[in-house]
Amino acid sequence: MRQFLIGTALVISACGDQGEGSGKTLNYYFTYDPRSLDPALSTDVPTGEVVSQLFDNLTQFDADAQLKPGLARSWETDAAGRFYTFRLRQDASFHDGRPIKAADVRASLLRALAPGSTGGRSWPLYPIQGARAYAAGSAKEVAGIVVRDDSTLVLTLEEPLNVFPKLLAMPVAAIVPTPTPPNFDQGPTGSGPWKFVSWSHDDAIVLARNESYWGGAPKSDTLRIRIIPEPLTQAAEYEAGQLSVVEVPVGETRRWEQTHAVELQRRPALRDLYVAINTTRGPLKDVRVRRALNHAVDVRTLLGTVMADRGVLAAGSLPPGIVGYDSTRAPYGYDPAKARQLLTEAGYPNGFSIKLWRTQRAELARLAQSIQQNLTEVGIRAEIVERDASSARAAVRNGEADLFLTDWWADYPDPENFNFPLFHSRNKGPGGNYAFLSDAAVDSMILRARATTDETEKARLSRQVDDRIFELAPWIFLWFPVDIWASQPDVTGWRIPLVFTGQRWMEAERTR
Amino acid sequence: MSRFILYRLALLVPTLFGVLLVTFLLLYVAPGDPVQAMVGERADAETLARLRAELRLDDPLYQQFGHYVGGVLQGDLGTSYITRRPILRDLLERFPATLRLAGAAMLFAAVVGIAVGIFGAWRPGSWADRFATFAAYLGVSFPVYWVGLILILVFAVHLRWLPPSGSSGLVYLILPAITLGMRSVAFLSRMTRAAMQEVLQSDFIRTARAKGLHEGRVVLSHGFRNALLPVVTVLGLDFGSYLTGSILTETIFSWPGVGRYVLTAIDKRDLPAVQGSILFLSLVFVMVNLLTDLLYARVDPRVAYD
Repeated sequence: MRQFLIGTALVISACGDQGEGSGKTLNYYFTYDPRSLDPALSTDVPTGEVVSQLFDNLTQFDADAQLKPGLARSWETDAAGRFYTFRLRQDASFHDGRPIKAADVRASLLRALAPGSTGGRSWPLYPIQGARAYAAGSAKEVAGIVVRDDSTLVLTLEEPLNVFPKLLAMPVAAIVPTPTPPNFDQGPTGSGPWKFVSWSHDDAIVLARNESYWGGAPKSDTLRIRIIPEPLTQAAEYEAGQLSVVEVPVGETRRWEQTHAVELQRRPALRDLYVAINTTRGPLKDVRVRRALNHAVDVRTLLGTVMADRGVLAAGSLPPGIVGYDSTRAPYGYDPAKARQLLTEAGYPNGFSIKLWRTQRAELARLAQSIQQNLTEVGIRAEIVERDASSARAAVRNGEADLFLTDWWADYPDPENFNFPLFHSRNKGPGGNYAFLSDAAVDSMILRARATTDETEKARLSRQVDDRIFELAPWIFLWFPVDIWASQPDVTGWRIPLVFTGQRWMEAERTR
Repeated sequence: MSRFILYRLALLVPTLFGVLLVTFLLLYVAPGDPVQAMVGERADAETLARLRAELRLDDPLYQQFGHYVGGVLQGDLGTSYITRRPILRDLLERFPATLRLAGAAMLFAAVVGIAVGIFGAWRPGSWADRFATFAAYLGVSFPVYWVGLILILVFAVHLRWLPPSGSSGLVYLILPAITLGMRSVAFLSRMTRAAMQEVLQSDFIRTARAKGLHEGRVVLSHGFRNALLPVVTVLGLDFGSYLTGSILTETIFSWPGVGRYVLTAIDKRDLPAVQGSILFLSLVFVMVNLLTDLLYARVDPRVAYD
């Protein structure tokens, strides 16, 4: 009987796809299917990640989030920071062999900006002079994109913006062959280190290495990206040897630290976990109340019990690794007595009622309950409102939520990517400023930090913004998450990327 | 019979129109903004307004509905807000995977459930029957989610006999089919057992035995055939519900079926994708029900529809 069972198991195993075990194949995964493989439609993480394998940008990030030359071998700007001249490399070509010239870059940027079916996601290109009007359909040309010769492109901005080269590394600014061939969104021709092979929706994307890539071919032959929605299944796939790397599920952290210690990598992420406090609603208008909320929540304990210590306590919004981060600033600290005192000073000795919104993400459920419990202890009666992500966001963006438990992922490693969307008054609601903060000093410093060409000045201003934000307490500052991933013992050359487009799988390979 | 089929097919029109209308109204009043889900973070108000106009979301409700029904009448379920692909194409691409999983789950459920049910009725009170009863209770009590993860843990992670998830070959069907079919096994075995017990006490069974027929023939040919009607009902209903997507099983086993498509569409407020999916799946469900009804007539000649 035992022999029969083993024999049967061997036979049925033989019926399966044995491609996963190939030494030249890397197996990665996304939690959900990319919406498209067309860079112009990229707003979600999976689309952005796969686009960064298939395409090149003028600039691009490495795994450490350092900005590197991409199709542009170099670039320079004028003293004011408004004119950017990009010099293109001569050895880059699309996967069909066509060389990439400055005219291709221009056509590609115009395509991303074009109004209609492909438009709507091109905000990283809006700083270019005339781009916004073109995207809105009210102009026929974009004055700020000029081809000087086959290998030189000049981009003129509406106003100086030092972060602009980083915006060009965003997936939507990837360079595509134009006019794009039919079915481009399903099986594109790019120019990146990996070529498209196949895409079976909700199942897997297969990429093959680009032998003639200007940056050298990737070390592995094939990158197979499975779509695996459930975190525990992802972990099981890894444990069964079917995935090269996996993010360790939060609930499994302690166990994996024991069982997979040598396979684990840790890296502080460029991410905030926070509770946005709507500064325009009721008692929350008062900064003393907002500070009281920060003192009321026992963040250190929550981090340990709910998130297995996967984070660095936050005292501001700029995480470690971002210019302007202040490691000396102490968090508010758990102090219920001080919270009660602040509430009394603000005229709420008996507390008040409030609504704490959250999405259905499992890890937020326990966190929200713990915060609710902490707030109750200082007299604030918080009702948890749980909605699907879309409904919760819509309500929060419309200013209907008192508190919103959420997180923010950096698209590019720059203080601007935190300060401007999250706190500038121009971005209240849909733009990312869920606290609806409107502070003239903050606005002014953010704009100056965006415009200056002096890196020291930018760091100083960004830090001042963070100081002021901490003081104004538009958030309950929780923590900066730390990513923990495991990579198979035989996988080398892979690191947790700091930004989602930063891992291009060039050096990764299986050694057995 | 053909009149019955035509009548049932004609009923499809008001049924599907009702589904269309209710779905449309429910989605209209549901919270969430499809345009914000489309463009992600950092979109400005101008872009949001422009996209709303492009998608006709600012039109009066009756115009939006009329426009949608017009498309459906021409066989066009619309284009997904998120992926920009035709919804019918997306659904047809995923439906074979759902069909494979539903078929395998039903096959497993039918073989195991009916066999256990027949045995239980034939030897009621035996240890095997008592065990089967206990197992049936477990089968309906354990959540699919839990069963799926335990099966993955045992057969994929520890024993390494089967792949944890995916859909690259026949072997990938085994765990999700067992997980999905577990509940049907429980129902079918209980249903078969009850129906068979009743039939096995009938006079014609006693007569068959008195004639000296082989016990196997008595139970299977004479007994089971007459107990088949409730079994077909359960099979039909369960198959219909499996075909309309098994969100949990598909999610746990990374199975690329329509269930996950619908879930993603709902999550992203992809209105045309949700509407199109529900319409398509309603059609599938109604057709399976019709086929089940037709099967009744085959199983039991006393059922006549004309």
